Amino acid sequence: MDNTTAIDATSLVLYEHLARRMNHREEHFRTLGEADMTVAIVVKAPDYNFTVQLVFEELRCAGVDVVTSDEAKLADFQLVGDLASWNAMFDNIVFNGAALGDFTINSLALRGNRISCESADPMGLDKFSRFNQTLQDFLDGAAHLDLTRSTT
Amino acid sequence: MPHMSEAESNNAIADRLPAVTPLGTPLDWAWLRGAPSEWGVHPKPGPRGLTMNDISVGTYGDVPEHAQRRSMAGRGSTVEGDVPDMGYILNKKSDVWADNVRELYEEAVARQWSATRDIPWGDLRELPSDMEHAVCQVFTTLTEIEMIAADLPAKWMWRMNHDYLEAKMFLCTQIMDEARHAEVFRKRALANGGGLLYSRSSGENLLRSILEAKTYTQATALLHLLGEGFILDIFRMGELIAPSPVEKKIFRMAMQDEARHVAYGTMHLRYAVENDPDVAEEIHEALDHGETLLATFGTNADFGSALAYLLGGGEEHIETKGFPLQEEMQRHQFTSYLSRCERAGISRVARTKLPLDLLGIDLSKVHGAPATAA
Repeated sequence: MDNTTAIDATSLVLYEHLARRMNHREEHFRTLGEADMTVAIVVKAPDYNFTVQLVFEELRCAGVDVVTSDEAKLADFQLVGDLASWNAMFDNIVFNGAALGDFTINSLALRGNRISCESADPMGLDKFSRFNQTLQDFLDGAAHLDLTRSTT
Repeated sequence: MPHMSEAESNNAIADRLPAVTPLGTPLDWAWLRGAPSEWGVHPKPGPRGLTMNDISVGTYGDVPEHAQRRSMAGRGSTVEGDVPDMGYILNKKSDVWADNVRELYEEAVARQWSATRDIPWGDLRELPSDMEHAVCQVFTTLTEIEMIAADLPAKWMWRMNHDYLEAKMFLCTQIMDEARHAEVFRKRALANGGGLLYSRSSGENLLRSILEAKTYTQATALLHLLGEGFILDIFRMGELIAPSPVEKKIFRMAMQDEARHVAYGTMHLRYAVENDPDVAEEIHEALDHGETLLATFGTNADFGSALAYLLGGGEEHIETKGFPLQEEMQRHQFTSYLSRCERAGISRVARTKLPLDLLGIDLSKVHGAPATAA
């Protein structure tokens, strides 16, 4: 990505770059093991909701698509947060090289007050735990995309 | 020369082979002549290789509702003559099966990790003595309780009919996972200048109750659904407990394993109840007892107080932050547990022994709970 690009959690391009990075680092993700899950990331921006669906298959992120809120409900789980929370997470990743402390996705979703992990199916929710380190390393890829901190 | 079929060709070879060994022992070339077992199923490997699902083709994929024999012969093989009864007592598919068990086995194999290599032990830094004591108490308790999830499957596995091989294979991975958890927790307790601290009766009572469950399905309810579900949420809480990235990594890695075990237990119980509704009451009885013990364990003087101490970040904030966070986490733990019970087809909302009001459980957040209950 252009090194002047500011983090924007509502940018489809951001997730496409994260997927591309994952797909070029098969050996790294192999140490964590295969992961099969469909995740919907819901970013609540002031004027609209941005929802992107990430399909993880084996050692790859095989799909990155903007979806509707109804389609997002079909994912194993949804991670729902406002724009400021998502951008703060990516800022932390970019600043530290990986999410630290309260900004890991597990920390953020644990209490549900910044980002919540939601699913109608507890088995879907449990996939958040089963593949958590893979998801974390996927998101940590933002540190390597030449991004600057968000403007929000 | 006329074309020979594969069977004719093999028979011709067998006919030419010697009938006795050089020492005079009779030889049997029956395997070369072929057996009634299905032959030539040709499972196709997928992108990730040849999985257990891939080889579940033809008759080899048929898992019988009731096992026909009690031998260790592989499902689908041709069994001739008398074979010893291995003493299996779990001879129904509903006794042990879960629809996700093959997938979970593959996942477990693919996601193994090393407590020696994959934890950044070199990054441990000296903690204030009080914090190190709290960390060591938490890991003392976790070291103690993790091996129940190895001992219990081991107790039952040799009683499971070999036709349900995939379930036994998954439980083997669980045993390996729990060995690794005991290893990583013990290592952390010893690695940073501390050591093991207290073990008391409330934890042991819960463990004994799980180990002594009368049936495997009761044992699964107590272990996978109740016990491991509870511990899974503690591992998730590790992000708030852990004083350094080292412990956070330990908890995140262990969490992934634990979630697989919970996924098996939840879906096994669902399968059991769907296929043998009478088993539901047996599960409820086990959980009636287990919930009471778990509530006692949850208020365990050592484990509970050490968790609150860490959640508060030390003495100063234990009352303003530690205990409130602990209560919040307990609400989360029990809400998750009740949701998993619903998913398993064993609604506990109307029957639970947990003090829902005292814990502040909001039943509207229990997924799948009857609307009237909320």
